[in-house]
Amino acid sequence: MEKIIELKNITKEYDGEKVLDNINLDIYDKEFVTILGPSGCGKTTTLRIIGGFEMPDEGDCIFDGKRINDVPAYRRHVNTVFQKYALFPHLNVFENIAFALRLQKVPEREIVTRVQEMLELVALKGFEHKKVTYLSGGQQQRVAIARALINQPRVLLLDEPLGALDLKLRKDMQKELKNIQTRTGITFIYVTHDQEEALTMSDTVVVMSEGRIQQIGTPTDIYNEPVNAFVADFIGESNILDGVMIKDRLARFAGKDFVCVDGGFDPNEPVDVVVRPEDVDFVDVEKGMLTGTVTSVNFKGVHYEFIVDINGFKWMIQSTDFVEEGREIGLYIEPDAIHIMKKSEYSGLYGDYSSYSDELDELSNADDVEE
Amino acid sequence: MRKKSFMSSLVAVPHMVWCALFIVAPLLFVIYYSFTNTEGSFTLDNLTRLSDYGDTFLLSVEMSIIATFFAFLVGYPFAYFMARQSETGRKICMILLMLPMWTNLLIRTYSMMAILDDGGFLNSVLAWIGLGPVHIVGTKGAVIFGMAYDFFPYMVLPIYTAISKIDNRLMEAAQDLGCNGRRVLTRVVLPLSKSGIISGITMVFVPSISTFYISQKLGGGTFELIGDTIERQFQVPSTYNIGAMISLVMMILILISVAVMNRFSESED
Repeated sequence: MEKIIELKNITKEYDGEKVLDNINLDIYDKEFVTILGPSGCGKTTTLRIIGGFEMPDEGDCIFDGKRINDVPAYRRHVNTVFQKYALFPHLNVFENIAFALRLQKVPEREIVTRVQEMLELVALKGFEHKKVTYLSGGQQQRVAIARALINQPRVLLLDEPLGALDLKLRKDMQKELKNIQTRTGITFIYVTHDQEEALTMSDTVVVMSEGRIQQIGTPTDIYNEPVNAFVADFIGESNILDGVMIKDRLARFAGKDFVCVDGGFDPNEPVDVVVRPEDVDFVDVEKGMLTGTVTSVNFKGVHYEFIVDINGFKWMIQSTDFVEEGREIGLYIEPDAIHIMKKSEYSGLYGDYSSYSDELDELSNADDVEE
Repeated sequence: MRKKSFMSSLVAVPHMVWCALFIVAPLLFVIYYSFTNTEGSFTLDNLTRLSDYGDTFLLSVEMSIIATFFAFLVGYPFAYFMARQSETGRKICMILLMLPMWTNLLIRTYSMMAILDDGGFLNSVLAWIGLGPVHIVGTKGAVIFGMAYDFFPYMVLPIYTAISKIDNRLMEAAQDLGCNGRRVLTRVVLPLSKSGIISGITMVFVPSISTFYISQKLGGGTFELIGDTIERQFQVPSTYNIGAMISLVMMILILISVAVMNRFSESED
């Protein structure tokens, strides 16, 4: 696969505050790349630099081997699906989609066929003469996608396109977007703060925090082999413990020694240990590698979610078995469920569920509108 | 509930009295005078005599249209520029725009006369650099300039409001789809500020067509506009009736044109 976009040492400051700090990113042709991170991590700014709406203070933006820092947005072979769609309210569905073609003075006949094709692609046939302001959020979203795709761009940028839709619709649109991407073979660069969205759709996930790229990898890599506590916590749920790597394949944490599958650390190197909630099994107390007390139980549909106190550290554990609150329980962890990470600036900040509540979780996800 | 609505209608009473006294009553007087003669008996003579003023009317229309056109030509870019400034920039522009409005219209026109007059400031400067003197006051151009100048803020403000309401993302979307700066303006900003343009045009055209002071001062008495004609009729009681009729017809024509303009702006909203 060939590289289509390269970002090299991109730095951007607003009012003396670094929003992008030395970003290096290669994007390959026909790839579905998701830039994932919390509000204010610089993901939208990165997208706007590729789209031509922001100039980097330092560094180069390369498109197809050519430096495009000075190429204005309207001459880049890139189109954008904006947050909240940004449809033209004075034009109907047809004219919104035909906008780019009208600028190029494409013959009317061809415009009609191509708009029809696009309407079919986004499943909006029969809507051509509707006013865009009368459409539902999901329909407006489809118009925005069709409008951006009709120009047959090499790269489509999507800035939190599903942020304003309700959960059910969002799931459907995720599938549809992935479908459109596969069918058209256009490179998608997708910005979101929703980790589940990122894992579902992407070929490559780029995790960002505080203006820096934390990790680039496939969804499986990012989930199974997070590089630091930030990534482990941001993608899915994680119990992150302070530990020591005694030697290769032997780690000590929670006061016990555990056989694991990782190696390559110095003897007795302090590390962060990640154990995913679904990788811990409940066993009888005497058979347990660890023992703890269940302090809360939440029913989540497919499984229960438990908070278990083990020597004062609260673990999150997900299991289909029910255990009542207050019970003493043994825990078993497979060696390959233990993931060891180097210490980082994020060590100790995440992965402890002592102050966890569902409500807080929802609050932190409510910041759809950002940057 | 009933008591509350009674109270709230009580609050509206002063306003209604005000309207009745200062809007409805004068209107009734105008209508009364329009259809009576000096003795106070009913007549349609005033209506038939209107044709005497056709040429004056057409001249007024012509000059107001030109003045409105120039006010738009300068006002639109100004409003666009203003809307794209930072908060402070907008405030400065707003002050510059509003400052002359704090001066009375008559005084403003008078000072404009002092500037443009044959022996005025502008001609002194022109004479000094060897280009003058240019005879300005007393020409049609001076009157058109006066109209455009006096009513300029009425053109800018509604357009400015309309442009600043346009979401910046729409302009970015237009660029994204291939618009250069000029096309962003013609394809997106202009159509989306149409309502502001229509208000601006109405608000400059209406006072321009009925003005009498500007044409008297800057026109130097060389020609008469419909506003001057009306004013002249009301200087002697014997011509009140024809003056009232011209006013009434003007008012109806203006109402019709405003209605047409509004219909035009609503049709695409």
